[in-house]
Amino acid sequence: MTPLASGVVGPRTLHAEFPRTTDELATLVRDARAARAGLRLAGLGTWLTAGHPVRAARTVSLRAMHGIVSYHPADLTLSCGAGTTLAELDEATRPHGQWCPLAPPGTDLTSTVGATVATASEGPYAAALGRPRSLVLGLECVDGTGRIIAAGGRVVKNVAGFDLTRAMTGAWGTLGAITAVHLRLRARPVVDETWAIRLPSSDRSALEAYVRGPLAPLACVRHQPPNGESGDPSLFLVRLGGNAAFVEASRAALRALGETMPQPPDALDAWRAFDDPPARALSWRWDPIAVRLRDRFDPDRILNPGLLGEPA
Amino acid sequence: MGDSHVLVRVPKLLVYRSDALPGLQRAPSLAVFPGTRTELIEVVRALAAAAVPFVARGAGTGLSGGALADGITLLGLHRLKRIIAIDPLARTATVEPGVVNALLTRAAAPHGLHYAPDPSSQSACTIGGNIAENAGGPHCLKYGVTLDHVLRATVVLPDGEVLTLDRGDVGGYDLLGAFVGSEGCFGVVVDVTVRLTPDPESVVTLLADFTSVRWAAEATSRIVAAGILPAALELMDQATIEAVESSVYAAGYPRDAAAVLLAEVDGAAAGLDADAEAIERLCRASGARDVRVARDPAERARLWQGRKKAFGAMGRVAPHLVVQDAVVPRSRLAEVLDDIAAIGARHGLRICNVFHAGDGNLHPNIPYDANDADESARVHAAMKEIMTRCIAAGGTITGEHGVGLDKLPYMEQLFTADTLDAMCSLRDVFDPARRANPGKTVPVRACREWHAAAAARPQAAGT
Repeated sequence: MTPLASGVVGPRTLHAEFPRTTDELATLVRDARAARAGLRLAGLGTWLTAGHPVRAARTVSLRAMHGIVSYHPADLTLSCGAGTTLAELDEATRPHGQWCPLAPPGTDLTSTVGATVATASEGPYAAALGRPRSLVLGLECVDGTGRIIAAGGRVVKNVAGFDLTRAMTGAWGTLGAITAVHLRLRARPVVDETWAIRLPSSDRSALEAYVRGPLAPLACVRHQPPNGESGDPSLFLVRLGGNAAFVEASRAALRALGETMPQPPDALDAWRAFDDPPARALSWRWDPIAVRLRDRFDPDRILNPGLLGEPA
Repeated sequence: MGDSHVLVRVPKLLVYRSDALPGLQRAPSLAVFPGTRTELIEVVRALAAAAVPFVARGAGTGLSGGALADGITLLGLHRLKRIIAIDPLARTATVEPGVVNALLTRAAAPHGLHYAPDPSSQSACTIGGNIAENAGGPHCLKYGVTLDHVLRATVVLPDGEVLTLDRGDVGGYDLLGAFVGSEGCFGVVVDVTVRLTPDPESVVTLLADFTSVRWAAEATSRIVAAGILPAALELMDQATIEAVESSVYAAGYPRDAAAVLLAEVDGAAAGLDADAEAIERLCRASGARDVRVARDPAERARLWQGRKKAFGAMGRVAPHLVVQDAVVPRSRLAEVLDDIAAIGARHGLRICNVFHAGDGNLHPNIPYDANDADESARVHAAMKEIMTRCIAAGGTITGEHGVGLDKLPYMEQLFTADTLDAMCSLRDVFDPARRANPGKTVPVRACREWHAAAAARPQAAGT
């Protein structure tokens, strides 16, 4: 076999290996297992510290497995390599009036699909348009024993067999290294506008009722300043989407709540870039069944050892 | 529990020898019906102590033979029908597994809420069964399948361990996501907390009338690709229309249509008419000769009655009915439907299609006589060809009814040995002894470890 490509990944300039195919990755995992040596999994290397140190000498980046493998606009489905960035997905789907509404903390240029799905990271559109766990139709991964698993499928409804897709989504790569993902897309709304709203008091109940009600917006997030300060608790950014009549009614309901100011279309994404990286790993629960799950898919703790603060 | 809730005599056990899938009959050796959650846990622990395999069963409305107990213990859950709590503010309900789906919606109605998953069998099927199968229904196009509405579940694993499972949203594996849809192979639901959905402000229901099934399928693709997300988009073909209109469930469908598309949009009143008008325009552009809008709730209910009772209406055509459940990409519906018609013609069978077109979730149904060996063989052959065709189109073998026993032979067409092996690994996390619903869902020969366990299984009984 030709040697693996290697190089530097991430802002911390880690030396990484870049398998180009799932078979290459499977070989790498099997070799690591035989040597009982852990592998740190990375995409572009921007979310490497999720709260716990990873006990692995080697880093494997899935970045070389990028690109859109198939895209069927009429079905609103798309398959891509794990190393594909969300910006690449946006570029491919936008001309068809579609999008992948995964919007994790960070920017679309540095967020890979694989990392987003592996961490089940979600953004401001999750409630309205779906969480990673409902937008991922299927995936391919290599588990800690070197098995190549092709879970789920490419159709929007599927209950064939036990649900490995759900088990892998949000598992932080500790059950399997995700190499490819099949996604369900959404149509972009006909009317799409973003507003800032300043509430007249610190009472958010009226805003919450609006967000839970029939005129719910695509997203509603609290002001997040770039310098890491706490932000203005009365200032929110709201994105409206739907047909003209719906958005008009939703806008009127929003205006009844406080002073509104129009924003550029990408305002929410600009705020999102300053969000904290995912740190849910800090609160990871290791009950006996979670340990059993890890044991069945990565008995020798090859994949991301230590990332989730696993009990020794 | 009392003797009346434990059945041991063969004549009484024969009642449970089939579910809603004709052609497959397997009788249990014992049937137990716990009446409380404590009794349920005690029964599962007793079964564990005796190392006895068992099958949990709700209302028995499953269409894949998943609830059949082949010479083993049947654990009936229909007595566990308590709605423990409804929290209107949090929009949740906590219920026992035997609660009938439609009764939960009825209980939530005074609060302006409903339980969104609505399988067509919802007047009989139970929440526990819905969870086992990850059931869908006409409205899951917009609202999602059972898994999207389940927040938390207390389950008893086959070894008697009681656990609370959630979606892992606050840091943890998605154990609930793995459990829902595991077809009773991972354990038994003791109670479950589900999300309730606010009733829509407004609903518009349309019926589009086509002279070609292909055109109706194309209209479906156009509507979804246009970015409209209907609450439901259901297609019925000529054979189904004929069965419905000749039955007591007659819905006023045009009898001479090759297909009708039942479309519904709901939600905020604002903008709903625009969506309905767009659907009408797209249907007409796809060749619909007429599109009518239900004028009032009574007309809407009548249109839906035809759809939801279509399977029952087919009872007039023949004594038995196979309801299949494949999925294809929406854009390939038209060509696959053409091929299904050709397969039916080749085998001399009448195939009725009534299905969730918006999801590409096909239900090719064949009315037949299961006592006619020749016809049964032809049905079997046709189903096999239909499944193979759907897989070839990039689809899958079940969208909402589960694999059960019926679709077991197709799993190896769909998944690699490594993937099937990994599915068995997932099962082993919950049920390493494989005593819960043994022999279902994932074919045994793909499981490396299965063969040892198979020797311990009781011999098949029943027919």
